[in-house]
This record gives sequence, C-alpha cells and structure tokens, in this order.
Amino acid sequence: MPRLILISFLAFALAMLAAASAPAAVAPTRDEYVERLETICKPDAQATQRAMRGARADVRAERLAVAASKFAKASGIFGGTVERISAVPRPSGDSTRLGKWFTYLKRQESYLRRITAQLRAGSGIQAQRLTARFIHNGNLANNVVLAFGFDYCSFKFSRYG
Amino acid sequence: MRRPACPGHPAGRAVCFLAALVLFGVLGVGLADGERAQRGDLIVSLDGEITPLRLPRDHRAPVAVHVDAGLKTSDGSLLPRVTRIELGLPAQGVISTRGLPVCALRRLRDAKPAEALAACGSSLIGRGDLESFVAVPHQDPFPVRARLLAFNGRVDGHRAVLVHSYSSDPPTVAVVPFLIRPGAGRFGTALVASLSSALGPWPHLVRFRVTLFRRFAHRGESRSYLSASCPVPPSLTAGFFSLARVTFSLAGGRTIGVAIARGCRAS
Repeated sequence: MPRLILISFLAFALAMLAAASAPAAVAPTRDEYVERLETICKPDAQATQRAMRGARADVRAERLAVAASKFAKASGIFGGTVERISAVPRPSGDSTRLGKWFTYLKRQESYLRRITAQLRAGSGIQAQRLTARFIHNGNLANNVVLAFGFDYCSFKFSRYG
Repeated sequence: MRRPACPGHPAGRAVCFLAALVLFGVLGVGLADGERAQRGDLIVSLDGEITPLRLPRDHRAPVAVHVDAGLKTSDGSLLPRVTRIELGLPAQGVISTRGLPVCALRRLRDAKPAEALAACGSSLIGRGDLESFVAVPHQDPFPVRARLLAFNGRVDGHRAVLVHSYSSDPPTVAVVPFLIRPGAGRFGTALVASLSSALGPWPHLVRFRVTLFRRFAHRGESRSYLSASCPVPPSLTAGFFSLARVTFSLAGGRTIGVAIARGCRAS
C-alpha cells in the first residue's frame, strides 16, 4: 500500500512538473512560429487563388451568383486557416501583436462572409463597399505583423480573383 | 503640324504647370506609407494613385499614375544596393507613345534639368524625386536628394522611359533607362531598369516618387501617354484593380517586392 502511495505521488509530481514546464517548452521563437504558420497558410492560399480564379471577371460581367459561390469557397478556406493558425502556440513576446492580428483576421473572415451574402442577394453595391473595407482591413492586418515577414499568411489582393 | 499640348511647348506650359500643381496637390494630400512587406530586416513600401479616380466604363481616358516606392531596414542599418527595379503597371492601362517625340539618351547625359528640358522637353512624360545614400569607401554614407524628369525614349529599338536624375548637392546627373516590357499576370506592362550598369556601385536607393502624365496631340487628335478605364457593370459604381507592383533586386541576389490595389469610380 505505501508503495502504491509513493508511485501515485511520484506520478502526480511528474505530471505537475510537466504541466508547469509545458508552456515554456511549447512557446516557439518568432522564426519557428512563422515557419509553422506558413506551412498551414501555403496550401490554403493556393486553394484560395484557385477558388477565386475569374471572380473579378464574374463581377464585371454581372454573374454575381457565380462570384458569390467563389467568395463562399474562399470564405470557408479562410475561416479554416484562421481556426488552425489560431491554435498554434504563439511566441511569448508577440502575444499582444498577434492578438491584434487575429482580430483583423476575424474581421477579414467576416467581410468575406458578408461579401458572399451581398453577392448572393444580388446587391453588387454593398459587396463593392465591403470589398473596399476588406482590402483596407487586409492592409492593416499586414502592417501589424510586418516584422514577421509572412508570405502566404499575409493578405494579398491578387489572390482574390 | 504636331503640337503637343503639354510640357515641351511654351504655349502649353502655363496650363500644364497649373495642372501639375493641382495634380501634385491632390496626390500629395493623405498619401500614407502605402502597402509594405518585410523580408528579414528589409522593408519595402509602395503607395500609388491613379487620377482622375472617376473613369469611363467602356473606353479609356487620359490618366496620371503616381507611385511612391521605398526601402528601409528595420534596424536603421545601411540599405543593400539596388541593382534592378521592376515596376509593374496594370493590364487595364495603356501606354501610348505614337506621335510622342522620342528623346535620345545621349542628349540627357551630363545635362542639368533646364538643359534636359531644352533638349527633350517635347518628350517629357513625368516628374518626381529620389532619395538615396551614397556609400563611398572610407567615408560615412551621405544622403542625396535628386529631382527626376522622365522622358519618352527608345533603347536598342525598344520603347523606354528615360529617367533623368539631377542632384545639386553634390552636383550629379544620371540617366537611367527603364525599358517598357510585357509584364506578368495582372501587371500587363513592366518598366525595368538595371541600376548597377547605370549608376555604378555607390548609390543605395531609399525612395523614389514619380508621376507619369502627358497629354499630346497627334494628327489633330488629342492623346495621352497613359490611359485607363474603369470597366465595371452598370449596376456597380466602383471597381478595384492591382495598380502597381515594385520589385527591387538587391546586390547579393535577394529580391523584395510589394503590390498595391486601388479603386476607380465609374463615370
């Protein structure tokens, strides 16, 4: 019985030790973080580019429903990317900045959803206004994480059709 | 008789000067740093504007394009030397040089701005300014500011923009030919310059701002060096397009670039 107590105590102590040291071990450096995020963003950015191909021409030709389906696809991809990258542990010194970045990304996601809805409803003017905000917000997001040197995780207008 | 309506001809100068004042006034207000990108410790920025903002949906109209591109290091250290600049312009825009006088590069060499304008004023297509650091061995780098004049030219049979750069302190003249080439993707036209051969090893480019704009007449017809449309359907009032992309190639083989998107309003 005392042996069992001792083993239990040791197991508990080890578990506590592991839990206490976990954040320090997991928190990556900025370079590691960027590398990890770029790995996630790259296939999604490429998928977005494929999904959005011709969207601008569709809007120009007033094929709003076709454009809406492309935006819906892009919105889904973007939402998935944000969800996955927000789960990645962040460098301890960059948490405030990254928090701000994720706020912008959530806003981007919301703009994409709203653009899709407006295109579906045939309201090109509203979609156009939201697109202006989407571009502006994307640039603001990029500025927050400029020092990270993201490529695929940064906003690029050219990816959207 | 060909009678260009703008910079090279005295009759048009006053009007064009006023137009330029208005243009620069409009463009000068509210220009931020524009879009930026960072690779390592190097930050590239690009801002730009097309004027007028309101353009026809179904045909091209004369426009001015303003670009403001720069480089800096995040830690303030000396910039690497730029060896090549590529400026991509949108496929929706058109560069028209038919009927526009061509300036020979040799006429600009060693010419001060007044002399360059006297020699090639009828070919003038833009103005701007430039900031750089000159790093001469065994000396501290020192800043140089230069005025830019852009002329329509030809290099080895290809259309080009000859950028004449003049600094009064220290007195320096340089002419950099930007070849007009087909661009890639959304940027249908690219202006490409090799700086290493034109400027030598010392200048380290920091920033350049240039506005390209020129109206001229050809066979009684009014023409523009740059023209563009805003091709959006009647149900929309505005559109968005990729306005410009700048790519700097640096000594050592690195490249860094950034693109900007802007809007237009349909008239």
